[in-house]
Amino acid sequence: MALLRCENVTKRFGGLVAVDSMTFEIDSGELMAIVGPNGAGKTTMFNLINGVFPADEGKIWFEDLDVTNFPAYKRAHLGMGRTFQIPRPFASASVQENIAIGAMFGSAGAEINVERAMEMADHYIEIIGLKKHRDKPAGGLTPTEKKLVEIARALAMKPRLLLMDEAMAGMNPKDIDGMVSFIRHIRDTEGIAIVSMVEHIMRAVAGLAERVIVMHQGALLVDEPTREALTDPRVVEVYLGHPPEEIDAQG
Amino acid sequence: MRRAQRYYPIIPVLVAYAMLLGYGLLFPGKWQLVAQLAFYCTLGQAFNLFMGMTGYVDFGYVAFIGIGTYGMAISIYYLYDKGLGLFIVVIGFILAAIFSTLLSLAVGAVALRLRGAYFAIATIGVNEGFRYLIEGARIWNGADGIIFSLHLKKAVGRETMMVLSTFWADVLVFTVAIAAAVLTLVFMRNKVGYALMALRMDEDAAKVMGINVTKYKIIAFITSATLAGLLGAAAWALKLTYIYPVDAFAIHYTVEAIIIVLLGGAGTLMGPIVGGLIYGVAKYFLAIVLPGFQLLIFAPIIITIIVIFPEGTVGILKKRVMGTALQKYII
Repeated sequence: MALLRCENVTKRFGGLVAVDSMTFEIDSGELMAIVGPNGAGKTTMFNLINGVFPADEGKIWFEDLDVTNFPAYKRAHLGMGRTFQIPRPFASASVQENIAIGAMFGSAGAEINVERAMEMADHYIEIIGLKKHRDKPAGGLTPTEKKLVEIARALAMKPRLLLMDEAMAGMNPKDIDGMVSFIRHIRDTEGIAIVSMVEHIMRAVAGLAERVIVMHQGALLVDEPTREALTDPRVVEVYLGHPPEEIDAQG
Repeated sequence: MRRAQRYYPIIPVLVAYAMLLGYGLLFPGKWQLVAQLAFYCTLGQAFNLFMGMTGYVDFGYVAFIGIGTYGMAISIYYLYDKGLGLFIVVIGFILAAIFSTLLSLAVGAVALRLRGAYFAIATIGVNEGFRYLIEGARIWNGADGIIFSLHLKKAVGRETMMVLSTFWADVLVFTVAIAAAVLTLVFMRNKVGYALMALRMDEDAAKVMGINVTKYKIIAFITSATLAGLLGAAAWALKLTYIYPVDAFAIHYTVEAIIIVLLGGAGTLMGPIVGGLIYGVAKYFLAIVLPGFQLLIFAPIIITIIVIFPEGTVGILKKRVMGTALQKYII
């Protein structure tokens, strides 16, 4: 049984088809990447999956439940976590409070009181290694720290599917490697499916994902294991353009 | 933090209100000033529960005070000869709470689906619309209002009525203020407070975190509105013993509430007290020193303060005491 199933999901903004009839599945505990150049529709796809806005066409199932018309908060209760491209921690709340909010309202939220949520927050603060910033407002952290807080906040929701929007954008190679191994680590320890969205850092994709979906102009271009996807001529073409000999032949 | 410790911030609030009340009792000549200050503090405290906690500005807030006033007025006006004695005041408060709750439910269910400026505009519309409905459809005597001083006198007797409207009405205002402060702290220390904090800072992120933002906004809205209704029943109905729609829905009270919350610090527990006192005292003395010009002078001062100190007095104080022993008392 697939954890998440999208069937012919389409989203239009006026005349622009941002996501064009996407069909794919995500399995439990899977580590995959959605890849595509700028404007390919990756973020829109994420927003459709976790319900930031509804799809115009198509259906989305989560654990065999049709969630197509569910609002974002209900999908979060079912077990969908999300981080944003530009981290959006609750700026004047402390790091601990930020993460506790995830625990309080996430998939196990109904049974978790404020005190328990704070304890859970401490556990995740330990995991992301920000113990010394526990009581500081999250707005004052560095961008990388903010990203970690966001990941911890999403993990505290106890999701079964975690959507990570450009987790590695703007990082230096050392931080990227650190983040890749961190993401693999949380997949292994928390046992959740992680979909990471990556625009162009192929170094991260290769080290991170077991499977890759490549989007191009809103549509699904390739859905293959990572190695095959990265060497697929169609993917190379999307990123690098036509190989030189073809240009010669055409020119 | 231990459980009891989390509620320590209520101590300075209670001390502040006790001091204000004590000042009024010790100096009977200043009772009117104290009553006015208590009204402003309560107005801020009740409004803060919605505006401060959610970041939404309700320009129609006075409508809840107005409808609460009508609740008390109707109870006294129609039940004065039923031999209920002081019980009509109790019924009045119950009606005030019911009316304001129902109105806030109706307004909230629609308006709270709107964001930012759209919400503000919608609430102005509701306030004005409701006033014209009462005047135009001649509900509750329409524009003639309800004058019920004679009814109150017949129901409870002359002596009781005097004490009720010159003393107990104001004491009841204090009670509403404390109720509002306690509720604010209970909210802050429970899930609802964290949900409101999250949606105030980033509503879209809050939704993705599993927070049903509409539900929590409505909770804050109804609580705040019901407190406003009780405030109206005490501070306007019992004190003045008349009500006209033109007063009950006068938008400048909403503006005063906004100023008080911003001066004190939106979303803080102590803020409305500090804001209410600053505003009330300043207005009182400006009216003596420069009668007629007080608002002209007041406006630029308020704009300056809000631009320079957007966090408000208590907001700044809260930052200052962070990491000191005072931290657990000031929020």
